[in-house]
Formats: sequence, C-alpha cells, structure tokens
Amino acid sequence: MLATEEAVEQMWGVTLDKLYDSEEGRRILSCIQCGTCVGTCPHGEYMDYPPRRIITMLKAGLIDEVLASDSMVMCVNCYACQTKCPRNIRLTEILLPIVKEQSLLQLETMPAELQKAIENTFRYGNYMGESARKRTQWTKTSKIPVRILSEDPRPVDALWLVESDLSYHPRGQDVARATVQIFDAIGADFAILGNEERSAGDCGRLSWEPGLSETLIDYTLSILKKYTYNRIIVSDPHALDALNFRYPMFGFSDTVEATVSFVHRHLDMLRPRLTKTLKYRVTYHDSCCLGRHNKLYDEPRELLLAIPGIELREMVHTRENSICCGGGGGGMWLDTYYKAKGMERLSDRRLREALATGADVLAIACPYELSRFEDAVKVAGAENRIVVRDIMELLVESFGDN
Amino acid sequence: MKENGEIRIGFYICHCGVNIASVIDVERIAAYAATLPGVVVSRHYKYMCSDPGQELLGSDIREHKLNRIVVAACSPLLHEHTFRKATENAGLNPYFMHMVNIREHGSWVHEDKELATGKAQDMIRAAIRRVRFHEPLEKKRVPVLQDVLVIGGGIAGIHASLTLANAGKHVILVEREPTIGGHMAQFDKTFPTLDCAACILTPKMTSVKDHPNITLWSYSEVVKIDGSVGNYTVTVKRKPRYVNEELCVGCMECIEACIYKEGKWPDEFNVGLSKRKPIYIPFPQAVPPVPVIDPEHCVHVKTGKCRDTCVAICGDRNAIDFTQKETLTDIKVGAIVVATGFDIFDATQIPYYGYGKYRNVYTALEAERLINASGPTGGELLLPDGHKPESIAIVHCVGSRDVHYNRWCSRVCCMYSLKLAHLIKERTGAEIYNFYIDMRAPGKSMEEFYNRVSEEGVHLIRGRVADITPQALPEGSDQGGYLGKLVVQAEDTLIGRVRKIPVDMVILAVGLVPQKDAEEVRRMLNISCSTGGFFLERHPKLAPVNTFTDGIFLAGACQGPKDIPDSVAQAGAAAAEALALIDAGSVEIEPNTAYIIEEDCSGCKSCIPLCPYTAISFDEAKKKAVINEALCKGCGTCVAACPSGSIRQHLFEDEEIFSEIDGLLTYA
Repeated sequence: MLATEEAVEQMWGVTLDKLYDSEEGRRILSCIQCGTCVGTCPHGEYMDYPPRRIITMLKAGLIDEVLASDSMVMCVNCYACQTKCPRNIRLTEILLPIVKEQSLLQLETMPAELQKAIENTFRYGNYMGESARKRTQWTKTSKIPVRILSEDPRPVDALWLVESDLSYHPRGQDVARATVQIFDAIGADFAILGNEERSAGDCGRLSWEPGLSETLIDYTLSILKKYTYNRIIVSDPHALDALNFRYPMFGFSDTVEATVSFVHRHLDMLRPRLTKTLKYRVTYHDSCCLGRHNKLYDEPRELLLAIPGIELREMVHTRENSICCGGGGGGMWLDTYYKAKGMERLSDRRLREALATGADVLAIACPYELSRFEDAVKVAGAENRIVVRDIMELLVESFGDN
Repeated sequence: MKENGEIRIGFYICHCGVNIASVIDVERIAAYAATLPGVVVSRHYKYMCSDPGQELLGSDIREHKLNRIVVAACSPLLHEHTFRKATENAGLNPYFMHMVNIREHGSWVHEDKELATGKAQDMIRAAIRRVRFHEPLEKKRVPVLQDVLVIGGGIAGIHASLTLANAGKHVILVEREPTIGGHMAQFDKTFPTLDCAACILTPKMTSVKDHPNITLWSYSEVVKIDGSVGNYTVTVKRKPRYVNEELCVGCMECIEACIYKEGKWPDEFNVGLSKRKPIYIPFPQAVPPVPVIDPEHCVHVKTGKCRDTCVAICGDRNAIDFTQKETLTDIKVGAIVVATGFDIFDATQIPYYGYGKYRNVYTALEAERLINASGPTGGELLLPDGHKPESIAIVHCVGSRDVHYNRWCSRVCCMYSLKLAHLIKERTGAEIYNFYIDMRAPGKSMEEFYNRVSEEGVHLIRGRVADITPQALPEGSDQGGYLGKLVVQAEDTLIGRVRKIPVDMVILAVGLVPQKDAEEVRRMLNISCSTGGFFLERHPKLAPVNTFTDGIFLAGACQGPKDIPDSVAQAGAAAAEALALIDAGSVEIEPNTAYIIEEDCSGCKSCIPLCPYTAISFDEAKKKAVINEALCKGCGTCVAACPSGSIRQHLFEDEEIFSEIDGLLTYA
C-alpha cells in the first residue's frame, strides 16, 4: 500500500511512547491476535517474540522483555506480515522498526557483518567500503557513454540513482551497463550523479540506524538540489522504498519511478529491438519492496514476456505471497548470525521453489538478489540447471543487433 | 400567509436521560427560549417521551391556552408521532407541533459542550420562528391493495410467503432461478441440530407449490417498481423455460431423451462440481418440478436444427414449447417483502489460500454438495483423483473480519465449519483441523454443539491460516491441478508456535456477501444499503425488518449475514409487518403534500415529468397542472421547479422555511 500524505505525516518521528498518538499507530490496538503475521513471517517460527506477541506484550506493558530479546534481529523487512494483516496494522512500516532499533541497542554483541556494513555506509556511503572515487568506474566499460551530472550539470529528464550494488558489485555493474543500453534504446535523456552519489539510506537496513539514515537522506537531498531533472529513476527497490516512504518526511516530493516501471512505460519503443528469440523458461522472483510495498507485479512480467521465446513459470509463492530472499532489513549481513541460530537461508529455500518450476533462468529486479541467489545456486550445486539474471540483462540479450 | 391570531408557544427541551443533557445545557436553553417572542411556557424535562412528559405538554396546552408547540429532543423519526399525538389529545391540531433534533444532530455528534449548546440554541430559535406559520392540517387515508409481492424464494421468501398465504393474502413469489429453495436447498445437514436441510425444507417448498393463495413465478425477475406504500405497480420479467409449467407433469423423460447423452455444462446447483444437459432440473425435489431448457446450449434454441427428441418423448402432453418468449407482466401489490439472500465470498480474491489453483481446495458450499447424497459424488467425500481424504483442514473467516475483503463477521461460518467437521469426521474418519480466530457460537444450542464437536476429537487450532502450499514442490510451471498434500501454515496462537499441517483437502469457510446485483435491486426498490452493501433496516433494533420506504420489508440474509433460524424468524416478522399494513385496509398519508395555486399556474407542464411518483397530471380543460394528493410523497421537487411559484407544499411553506432560516442566522 503506497503511503498517503497523512500516513507519512503520522509515521514521522514515531516512538514507542507516542505510538498511539496517530490514527495509523492506534490501529495496533485493533489487533485480533489471529497470528497471520507470525504464520506468514519467513522467520516467524524462530522468533520468541514474533509480531503478534510484540503487540500483546506492548499492550500488557511488558515491551521491555521484547526489547531484550533478539527476535527482531530476524526481521527481514519483507512486508509479508503487514500485507496480510486483516486489520491492516502497519507492522513493517511503524511498529517493527521501533522495536528493531531498540532491541539492537540491547544486543550483547552486535553481529560483526552488520556492524561493518553500517560503519562502511557511514564512512564511504556504501556498505562494501569502496572508495567514492570508484563509483563511476563501471561506466568506462559501458558501450553507451553515460552523462555524469557533476561533470555536465545541464538539466536532464531522468536522474538515475544507480545505488551501491549496481555501482560496485561486479555482477551489479553488468546490470548497470545493461540498464544503460535499455535507456539508450528507449531514447531516454538520463544522467547519473556519479561520484557524488551515496547510498540513498535504504529503508530496511537503516531502520537499525535511523540516525545514519537521516544523515544519508540529508546528504542525498543536498546533492539532488543542485540539479534540474523531471524524474528520479531507481534501480534498487530498497532505495525506491526509501524515496517513496522516508524521503517525503523530509519534504521531498519529486517524481520517483522504479527502473522496471520506467522501461515498461516505454516498452513500445523497446519492442522493435527485442528480436532475438531467447528459448528460456523463466521464473520471476518478486522482490519485497518492488512487489508487496510498491505493488509492481505486472510490469516486470510484461517486460519478460516482451522477449520473444520466453516462457514464464510461476513459483509456488508469487506476487504478494512471494518469499523474501533474506537480504532485506539487514538480513544481507546477518547470514552468519542466522546460521548460528540454525536458521535456513531464505535464498536457499526460495531457490528450491525456482528450481521446482523447471525454469533455467531465475529473473530478478533487485540487486540484492543477484548476489544472494547466485550464492544459493552455488550452495545447491545447481550451476548447470539455472542462472540468475536481472530483467535488464535479459532484455539486452534479446537485442538482435547487439 | 397569516400568523392566525395570537401566537402562544410552548417550548420543551428533553434531557433524554444523559443523552442530551450531558452535552447540551438544557436549563440554559429553556431559560433562553422563554425570552423569545411568543413563548409562553418553556420547560426542560428528563424524559419528554414518558407518560408524565406527554401529560406535562397536554396540561400546559389546556392551562396556558398554547397554540404552538416546539419539542427539542431526538429524531422526529422516533418521537414525532408521540408528540403529535399528545398535542392532538390536548385538543390542538397535531401539525402545530414541531420537533427539533438536538440529539442526533447535536449531543451525539459534538463533544464541545459550549458549542453544542450554542448550536442547539440556534436550532430552537429557528423552530420557534417557524412554528408561528404552521397551519392545521388533516391526514388523508388511501386504500391499500391486498396482494403482496415476495422477491426471492429461499427459505426466508418461502416462509414469508407461506405466512402471508396462510393469513389469507394472495402472494406473488418471484424467484430468479428455475426452482425455489435457495442456498438452504444446497446444504447437507443444518447446525446445531443436524436435521437434513432437504428434509425440513422440501415440505415447505411443496406447500408453496400447492398453496391456493401463492402464485409462484420461478425463473422470473422483478425489473421495475412504481408507486408507493399500499399501491405498488411491479413489472416482472418472465424468462422462457421452454417447458409449459401447466402441461408438464414432471416425469423428466425429456431430460433422459435429450440428444446429449451425458451432462456437458457446469451444474449450477452443484456449484460446478458436476455436469448437466441443456434440459435439466436443478435437483430432484425442485419446485416447480418442471425441467428448464438452457437457451445457451440447447441445439434447437440455438440452431433450430435438432432431432427434438425431448418433444417426441413428451408426445401428446406437448409440454415442450419452443415458441415461449420472454414476457413483461405488471402486477399491483400493497406491500413487498424483499428476501433476495446472499452470495458467497469469492475465495480466489485471497491468493495465498490457493483456491482455483490447487484442485483440492474447496469452498464450504462445494463441500456441502460433496457430502450430500444428491450431490455429484452421491454423498461420498472424494478427492478429485477418487481417493478418500484422510486429513482435512477447515479454514475459518475466509474473506470475513478482514479490512482487505469484508470487515464483518459472517456469523454462520464458525457453526457451519464445526458442522462440516462433525459430518466429515463421522463419514470419513479423517483427521479434521479447524483453524479459527475466535470461535463464535452465540444462539440457542450453539455452544453445546461446539462442545460436542470438540469432544469428538476435531483439532481446533486458534490461528488464522497464513499460507497454503503444496507439500512437495510441484514440478513444472503449472500448479493448477496439483493434487498432492497441501501444507496449511498458521501460528497456533495458544501455544505460540507456527504449525505446518499437511492435509489432503482444504475447505475454505467463505463468508457471506451481498448478492452481486444488490446495488441495482436497492435502487429499483428505492431502499438503502449499509456500508457493506447489505440492505439497510429502518432501525437496527426497533425496526429490523422495515426499510426507509414504507411498504417494503426485509427478510433473511439480504439484510445481513444470518443463519436459518434467524432468517425464518425475520421472514415471519416481515410477513407480520406486511399483514399489519394491508389488513388495516388503508394507509394514512402525511399531509405534507404539494398543492397548486390554480390562478397562478401558467400550464407550462414543466412539473409533470419531474415528479418521481407520477402524481401530477394536466387538466386539458382548465390548462392547469393537477396534483393527486394520494400519490404525492412531498419530495418538493415540483415546488422548487415551478417557474411561476404556483406550487406550494404543506408544512414546507415559503414563510415557514424563510422564517426558519432567519432564525438560524439571527445571532442571539
């Protein structure tokens, strides 16, 4: 559900003691303790205090016991509980982040990988700890030249926020270059921020660290202010989420579009280029932020179906009932922590569903999933059965004149 | 208009216990009213509607020679009649009494006492100014037609029809489907007493068929309603069934003889679980026991080229009649009972329950047919692959109590789910898992039934089902037709653990929703809907079968989800209300009708097409418009529209309205 203006207003700055001050917050009181949130949570069975119990404990004045547990460290911000809640309680948007932040503070030892990711994001503006100067290196090997606003600040139609994974991760860079080819094919007037860009302060990860999130949002807004553009295009669904749901609280009101919906809107211009038949059986993984939170289910599928020869197969969990890859909400840096708890990696579980469809390509539209699912493929020893491809990569592969 | 001599106004403000007095300062208002011109007596009283309250009003009229009364209290809907009566009993024309609603329009909707008191003060000032211009009016009576229309032939419509017919009234029962019986006819046994639905329903269906006072029009629909209380003209569309009901003896040989040897199209009565021919009867005990021909699939109707084996076998009886055409018939009735029933929630709307995706996920209505002896499997509960299920999950609250679908509790699902659990366990010995949020068992013998089913060893798990997935991941893309075990996942909230229970079959306890065309029916009847789309009763407690349109009554689940006992009780109540109306022989009509100042009427006729009640005609000799007061409902449309200002309305005279507005706008 896209946040309305009032909802954004009401969510702003909510703390535990002010939870019931807003209409959105008071909805927590309407909980009927049905347990749907727990039953649908991909990690619900491992939590001592899953969402339903958090609400009862809160009502009983026993929330301190919840904050002292590590239950919310297991929350991957996947919006599954919130989406199915029959009372439409904003669990993922309001309640869980508050509990998360507080319980992390009380954790005896901060999980090392998460600690590092947060530190890196603070220091370098990306969780990998890469140098800001290397952010545009991928453009050097792009077939199409990419305009960088800090070098050429003329007004532009589409300002493309590349985000960190597509800028630094080797496979992410493949997707970035493919995306440039697609933008070129649809005749988009686009440019990137270049080395000035830092992580947009993605919603899930930074619900651990609202202070850091705010710093990054302030920074990004100050950079954006320098340029003139009509819209912002985002490839990372987490950043899309941040721009759609967090930034408005800071007075931001620009037009924001996910890459998939931007390209989908120009599909007719792209279609003539999609001439090479790809005889793939493809299954598409709905990312949590793109799907459940921003309701983009049909656009990615229609892009895939525009490619000649593609056969689309659906997994058991699909669309709003999709399962998280496990990377959201900081899960990306908690694999070791989860493993120590005896929890299965969600990407491994999801890959089994993908393999069961008989697909030879697992299509994705979120950069976290590239690394997570490619890892899962290796773990499963399924390299000969399935490959992981971003939708942009598949579209480019279908260019007959490539 | 004149003020009719010296004006002596009595003003009364009611505390309504604390309903009004806790928000509005009634003493201050009473003191204020006493200062207004014409007010002779001004009082506040705890309960004006009580006998002493009414007596107070009456004695004041006599003692102080009051000739105008203003009562500030609740909605006129509730007590206007009471105070008019009290006024009349004291020898004053009842239309000299005017009511101000300071409860629903005041104390109940405001929190700020000061502002609410100020608003009430404005309202009563307006009323005191208005009432000066009131005139004595007389109620008129119009005769009431004695026939009653019942729309819908489910258990509610059947019961209402029989009650009315037994009281000697002629009933026209209109049913859309080829047979009466409704949803109840599709059920197997009924909770909590477990009597077989058909056994208790079919005798009533037969009574309808045989009753001399009931005209049953099945396969027909009401398409238009004109007129008003006591005098409705109803247009009924009668669809051709291509079998003459008078000539057919119900031998069913035509169905046997049809050129289609096997059923080919989804059988509506079995909710698509079996196939029927183009000529069919919904179920063996259907009423009327006459086959119907489906024009979409009958070769004769479609192409005219058929061997007409049905006609041949019918022989001299000549009951098959392909010349039948759709007809529109007008009937005249005094009252209407609406018993159009409910629909079931479309479970495909909840993607994570797999309905329509996994073949072993059923709705409860499908389950009813599957365990019914006259159902597609002869009463044996079988999976689509012919196996007997050994474990079954029953999912409560499907589509109910959920802001994404329907907010309401559908009221019957807990009990019918327990009933299905009992019946299926009894017949198959399967392990049954009922997943519920809250077990709702109000009503006579319901809790006892819950107890009984619990003791039978049905697994009752408190948790709403969050996901239903195949136990083994189906190979290949298409999960449609997946028949392996399904894993039902829910948090067992009582032990605080997520449970994943593999079962052979899932039954979804789908909720009750309004009929798909409820909105169109509502508009046709000129009645209202509650937020969920069910028809709205006049008062939730005190007028549960009345509507805001006089002469139209509600029965059964069209008004909201309810079980069979409640539907029948409500149908009886609706029949009694209809009887009370028509047995009175005539109905009083409010005198707030429009009238024409003849000398001012220019004869432009612009009012005539505007009247929603066709109450205005044109006198060709005088070249003036004429209003039939018996038909006028006092809506005021013509009054506002008349270009020469020659149409006026009793109780809404210009002087009354303008002085009321003046009163509102004159700050004290």
